[in-house]
Amino acid sequence: MSALLPASTRGALSLVRHTWTSWLQYRGFFFLLAFGWMVPPLIYLFVWTTAAGGETIGGFSRSTFVTYYLALIVANQITYSQTNWTVGDVIRSGGLNELLLRPIAPLYDTVAGEIAGKVVYLIFVIPVTALLALLLRPALPATGDLLLFLPALLLAWLLRFFWGYWLALLAFWATRADALLSLQDALVFLLAGQVAPVALLPGALQSAATWLPFRYMVGFPVEILTGRLDAAAIRTGFALQAGWLAVALALSALLWRRGLRRYAAVGG
Amino acid sequence: MSLSVRFYLGLLPAFIRASIQEAVAYRANFWISLLHASLNFATGVLGLVVLFGQVEQIRGWDLPAALALLGIFLTLGSLRGLVFGPSLDSLAGLEGDVWSGRLDYTLLRPVWTQYLVSVRRWQPLALLDLIPGIALIAVAFWQLRLELSAADAFAFLVALGAALLILYALLLAATALIFWAPGVLFTWIFDSIFQMARYPLGLYPGWVRLLLTWVVPVGLITTVPAEALTGRLDGRLLLATVALALLLTLAASILFRRALARYESVGQ
Repeated sequence: MSALLPASTRGALSLVRHTWTSWLQYRGFFFLLAFGWMVPPLIYLFVWTTAAGGETIGGFSRSTFVTYYLALIVANQITYSQTNWTVGDVIRSGGLNELLLRPIAPLYDTVAGEIAGKVVYLIFVIPVTALLALLLRPALPATGDLLLFLPALLLAWLLRFFWGYWLALLAFWATRADALLSLQDALVFLLAGQVAPVALLPGALQSAATWLPFRYMVGFPVEILTGRLDAAAIRTGFALQAGWLAVALALSALLWRRGLRRYAAVGG
Repeated sequence: MSLSVRFYLGLLPAFIRASIQEAVAYRANFWISLLHASLNFATGVLGLVVLFGQVEQIRGWDLPAALALLGIFLTLGSLRGLVFGPSLDSLAGLEGDVWSGRLDYTLLRPVWTQYLVSVRRWQPLALLDLIPGIALIAVAFWQLRLELSAADAFAFLVALGAALLILYALLLAATALIFWAPGVLFTWIFDSIFQMARYPLGLYPGWVRLLLTWVVPVGLITTVPAEALTGRLDGRLLLATVALALLLTLAASILFRRALARYESVGQ
């Protein structure tokens, strides 16, 4: 087992390199996608800062909203797993056949696409966000918050990736399963802190957001960064994030094994 | 002249019939479109409810007025998706008519090319967005308990017509740009910016307002009809919007004609 690991890691790295170079050719297209994903949080940044004016809304001042939404733009870009859509496509089209023949698990291929994509998107998003920060003057986050932000962001990415992955694997059973990914996007929009920071949601939505997994895919790390959470809330948050990640991993593993058994390998 | 008008109008039923025949071949798409329309409606309304749950009024806009504006946004989006959206979209991208050279077949037909590329493809399922759009306008109107004078109703319809014309002109201009750079999805860029029309212009900071009024006038598209509906539209602004709509349509038509002259009919 341990002898196999370096080889598959090497294979995975060369996959990342390969996918990345082929994607760079289409960077204009990917910059466009990244621009499209940036716009909704940007709209809410503008709307909430205008609404706040010179006052505060639920403890958020104008500059807190700016910090919150600029961090959200980056966090949303880092955690958004566009490969979730392609996993379903590969199963439907039969393209999975080719991946199954390779000596490493198809999950590596998805992860390679994921990492390569992230790099290309961030080449666009980081400079634009920096420019916006110069224009809009956010409140600077504390160093301690920044240190907690990074692990929360990593967990958020894993959670959003594997949550979407198990949804995408439903394509083994139903061809139009990607409709669920649209539903997922809508729930992330409402409950993950995009339309408003979770603290500003009305009662029922707020408790739904606290217990469901979606907030832990985007909003939670951003709330840490803006210093909105006390130590107890951060602990509970990490626990829920880890718990939901475990659920997502278990479902992904289960559905992959079950799904592969009934995969009919049509097309290709 | 009247003969040619009758000839061009007579083409429409043929286009619509062909498009419906195509649509009914993919019946499952109805449910997917219904899901998308419902999500679009629900996230839009909840987003406004969350925002106006925190602040009663932003620069003169309250919840009912903002809901009316959302209704106008959905209505215009639906009409665009019904006809000129899908028609013009078929020219764009690496699969599109300009890149592949399929535009030859369009140019060869003995009709006015701009008309043909603007109305030949219909997407009846786009009408699913029209129902919530009109319902929102009606509900908001009832909540505002305004007395709609004949003059206001007339101003609203004129504003809506001008808005639709501006939307068409902007899309036609974006389509014309394809002839200079066939790989770039200009309509996608436009779509992202168009999302900003979900909220009244007054909810954006000054410099964004200027951009959305003068550079890409998508802000006017929804704000002017909404102001007409709530009876606070300045008559001069309405006239200016109508003038702008006509001017933009003319400019976009000239640009499109120039673009056609560049077409070299190279494809695979």
